[in-house]
Amino acid sequence: MSAWRSAVLVAGLAGAMMGCREKLTTPSRCPELCPATKLEMADTLLPLADSADTSVRGFVLIREATYLLASTLDSLQAVTLIRFSAHDTMWTVSGTTLDSLYIGKQDSLVLTLELAQRDTAVKNLRLVIWRLPAQFDTGATYQSIQPYLADSTLVDTVAVPDTAQAGAHTFNIADSLPMQPGDSGYVSLAIGIVAPTKTALTFGSGNLSTAPLLSTYVHARAPFDTATDVFSVSPFVSLFVINPPATQPPPGILAVGGIPTARALLSLSLPKLVVDSTSIVRATLLLNTVGAVGGFANDSFYVVAEPVVRDYGVKSVLWPDSATSGIVLVHQGQTGQIQLDMAPILRFWGTTQGDSTPRLIMLRAYPEGSTIGAVNFSSRAAGAAGPQLEVTYVKPYSFGVP
Amino acid sequence: MRRGPAVLVAVLACAGASRAAAQDSVFGIRGLGLLDRSVSAKSGALGGGFVLFDPAAAVNPASLAGWHATAGWAVGAGSFRSFDYGTGTSSLSATRFPVVGFAGAIGSKVVLALTASDYLDRNWSVQQTDTVSPRGTPVVANDNTQSAGGVTDLRLAMAYRLPNITLGFGAHILTGSTNTSVSRQFPNDSAFVPFTQAQTTDYAGVGLSFGALVSPLPGLVTGASVRVNGRLRASTTDTAADIPMPVEVNAGFYDQPVAGISVAGTVGWANWSRAAAALAATGQAPSRDVWSVGVGVEVNVLRLGRRQLPLRVGYRWRQLPFPIGGDSVAPGPALSEHAITAGLGFDTASGRATVDLGLDVGSRVAGPLSESFTTLYVGLTIRP
Repeated sequence: MSAWRSAVLVAGLAGAMMGCREKLTTPSRCPELCPATKLEMADTLLPLADSADTSVRGFVLIREATYLLASTLDSLQAVTLIRFSAHDTMWTVSGTTLDSLYIGKQDSLVLTLELAQRDTAVKNLRLVIWRLPAQFDTGATYQSIQPYLADSTLVDTVAVPDTAQAGAHTFNIADSLPMQPGDSGYVSLAIGIVAPTKTALTFGSGNLSTAPLLSTYVHARAPFDTATDVFSVSPFVSLFVINPPATQPPPGILAVGGIPTARALLSLSLPKLVVDSTSIVRATLLLNTVGAVGGFANDSFYVVAEPVVRDYGVKSVLWPDSATSGIVLVHQGQTGQIQLDMAPILRFWGTTQGDSTPRLIMLRAYPEGSTIGAVNFSSRAAGAAGPQLEVTYVKPYSFGVP
Repeated sequence: MRRGPAVLVAVLACAGASRAAAQDSVFGIRGLGLLDRSVSAKSGALGGGFVLFDPAAAVNPASLAGWHATAGWAVGAGSFRSFDYGTGTSSLSATRFPVVGFAGAIGSKVVLALTASDYLDRNWSVQQTDTVSPRGTPVVANDNTQSAGGVTDLRLAMAYRLPNITLGFGAHILTGSTNTSVSRQFPNDSAFVPFTQAQTTDYAGVGLSFGALVSPLPGLVTGASVRVNGRLRASTTDTAADIPMPVEVNAGFYDQPVAGISVAGTVGWANWSRAAAALAATGQAPSRDVWSVGVGVEVNVLRLGRRQLPLRVGYRWRQLPFPIGGDSVAPGPALSEHAITAGLGFDTASGRATVDLGLDVGSRVAGPLSESFTTLYVGLTIRP
């Protein structure tokens, strides 16, 4: 055996005997075997008075929302308007000598709604359904639609079971909803609610949710009037109208959520030390509410802060990554200060990837366009009540020499 | 093909796998670290008693005369430690390479060698759990402070053989660095992000060593070495400190009273108190002069096949220079260490390679604190 082969053999043996272990960490006994210097932490409050902020409503339009709304609240009245697609006037039958049958008589109608939110404390809630002109104005307002919400156009009122929870529910409406000759098969409905107390109800619109469905049960023409079929159609147009109408947030207010949804854009003027420091262990954006958080009773939604990667004002491009976002859950009726974690965003800004991005964040509701929840914050114009950044950091540690 | 350079490459590559260090210790957190022992597996098995006569150890340059041809050597050491921290014990372990070297003979009288060995070990990691109150709210914080690295002794040495006496001279460069870091984690509160801060400290220094081996009687060899060190400069990016390093004196004997049995003993002293003022200036407890003693016996009567199988046992004791805890006014308890050792060795590859195994079992004690250890040395010497 050569020297080298022996050496390799022995080296391999030694390696196998000892392995390459490295376990050095142990709890220590203080003060004898603890570092002479301890880590110290400190807090500081950075006012964002030099920052810029703005708030704009209309990021998720009513027709883009995942819900349709009916409300009798004093602060928000709403009626849903739906134009259903036209259904066929005939159907085909296989296995008989007949190819097709024509609708002879309309039997009954069933409206299927995916209930989303309601105040379960309100009992004896009823849907009120009116017939609208088939080609109603899709730019209608709450005021302009009022003439159609009359007894003469009332189709039905149907009870929403007190036990109804979120999910699909069917409502048998009028036994007959005559097809108007000039409506080309379209049926348009207005859906409101009535209850002993003022309340609101949302149901799926079809945008990332289940759309309303209108199912028509029919008989064929004589002499085949024993043949039946069901035609189900979904909305061709669906929206809701509200009162008071939506307006842009007033100056001094950072609005988030609501109808249509609003976002707030904050430009943070932060010391470079804060952005680049690795010693920051927690950063919190402090926002003071103006009024109470709005929405369904006992409802809640998230307010999320996302960094802007390209600044185009209210149309800025966001970085929608949960790892670089701050998020906080807010509750209907909540007032006072809301704290939003900013550490992920500061860490993102401190990275190579994020060091060229503007120091801008967008506040928005999450999930956006799926709740009527809204919250208003004081802007920097409010001075001390405006946004502030609370930073907790570790003071520089002195290792000493040697 | 000339094999000498290949051996050098091999041993340096081996050294590159890990910084030379015989053992780590949580006690290395104090002063300049744990004073290490640049011993071979053979010397280690003999309690360090043979270290003045061991050509593979980096203590006495005169011992290089033990090489009669080109040689390369490396030592691996795997250590297992148990540290008693008062409310429990920690089982710790590490693998290091205490000594690597290359030597070549020039004629029949001169031997030149290049060695790399550990001088100060600063590998340790301690963890503390505390409750802190940022923003007025109690939060559990896990702090970890750790150091990796140390000071390595690079030596270019020469031995010169004369009748009945061998002289040696070595030039030393102390070099190395430590990466020290401190981190804080908040295990129970995700709102807080972990914190880490690190610092690199570089070390540089020089030293000279002189040694002699004298054979006054047949079978008896006495030896002595003196090492004079300059200041060790420890520098970071924004500060530096110069610490005077000690003068180290060793003396010992090696005897073969009867055929097949060898006895060796070494006594060492180092005036580490030279560093006391500089350490005190940095707020640390002052260092002290230290003694060390090692004795060993080698029995060379067993054979494994055609190979001789020397068996070795030994005992060693030493003081360590840096007190544990305390400050410049009231130093903490002094640290000492003792161990019993054993081992064996055998030649292979027609005598061109030697494998030495050594076991070092002992403890370090500083007042009420203690750490026990078991170190397995594996040494490989190649004479191509």
